[in-house]
Amino acid sequence: LSAEARPERWNGLIISLHWAAGAVILALLPLGWVMVYGGLDSAATFDLYQWHKSFGFLALALTALRLAARFVGSSPPAPASPRWERRLAACTQASLYVLMIAAILSGWLVVSTSPLPVPTRFFDLFVIPNIAPPDPSHFADAVLAHKLAAWAIAFLIALHVAGALKHHFVDGDDVLKRMLPRWRTLRSPHG
Amino acid sequence: MTTLSCMSLRAGLVFAALTLWLLAQARVPAAAANWRIDPARTHIAFAIDAVGYPRTHGQFRQFAGRISVDFEHPDKSSVAFHVQSQSVEVGSASFDDYLRSVAFLDSTRFPSIDFISNSVAKVDDHTVRVSGELTLLGVTRPLSVDVAVEREGGGGRLAFLAKTNIDRLAFGMNSGFPLVSRDVELVISSAAIEL
Repeated sequence: LSAEARPERWNGLIISLHWAAGAVILALLPLGWVMVYGGLDSAATFDLYQWHKSFGFLALALTALRLAARFVGSSPPAPASPRWERRLAACTQASLYVLMIAAILSGWLVVSTSPLPVPTRFFDLFVIPNIAPPDPSHFADAVLAHKLAAWAIAFLIALHVAGALKHHFVDGDDVLKRMLPRWRTLRSPHG
Repeated sequence: MTTLSCMSLRAGLVFAALTLWLLAQARVPAAAANWRIDPARTHIAFAIDAVGYPRTHGQFRQFAGRISVDFEHPDKSSVAFHVQSQSVEVGSASFDDYLRSVAFLDSTRFPSIDFISNSVAKVDDHTVRVSGELTLLGVTRPLSVDVAVEREGGGGRLAFLAKTNIDRLAFGMNSGFPLVSRDVELVISSAAIEL
């Protein structure tokens, strides 16, 4: 699409999916940390694992929908930033998509290959099937991949948020505003 | 005279038989008295370890039991416990459901976990060794447990404490091994009132 034909802002569906997935992922990271290192008792730990698994699959659904919406819809034009900044932003966003999918799939593998396969009951509604048989060696690999992906996501989210805030407060452009709901009027400090 | 002798002999025999019968009747409750288990003071608890996971503590809430105690002849005492496997509780409804599933207790197929003693031996003044058979998941294995026994309230009450480890693999409960340990610690405390 030419710059003139591109929309000024992200469409409502993508905005909703972006913030919903963001909220779910921001909940999943500390939830995952607490359930492993939090020192809680066995029953509370079991419940947190079940919540983490349900929210993980919710994140998968939201991310898949958003990717589909990105392919179908059109995106607003890139801001008039230096080339390296645009590249960094595109790279961060693409990496976030890849890592989110990697984190969720490796989590699914952790659940599946665990020597103790606990059924994944999605919010206690239905059981999500496993994608691999139990295997201690694959389990250890999947746990490592899941942890690395989670830490990388935490780092990239920090970079992503820093970029959005820099656009809003330093550059004074509408990069952040166009991802906000229409009813939310956030005035740029420069305009 | 002969008739009289016969009659007195018969009366004597009847008297002797009656005396023996009465003595026998009197001895039964004194020898092996039955005790009623106090459910409020009975706890059938267990604990199990797993790698990278906190120790799981739980208990079974529903059970029935019978205790027969003969202080003079401990070997004539007996114990039987029937525990409802679906009454397992570890503090999380979803965890309880998981433990009831085929992975562990398989409560639908095996609703009862049973222990029936076949011998009781005195170890010391406060301890008896109860040997018997434990049936879990339909598999019966011998189990011997040292039970601390305390008489309370002038002897009308008894308090029991038994601790033992069972090897769950011996009963075919293999889920999660070796991530989940094979040893399950059992702690059974109970109190009984003489009937």
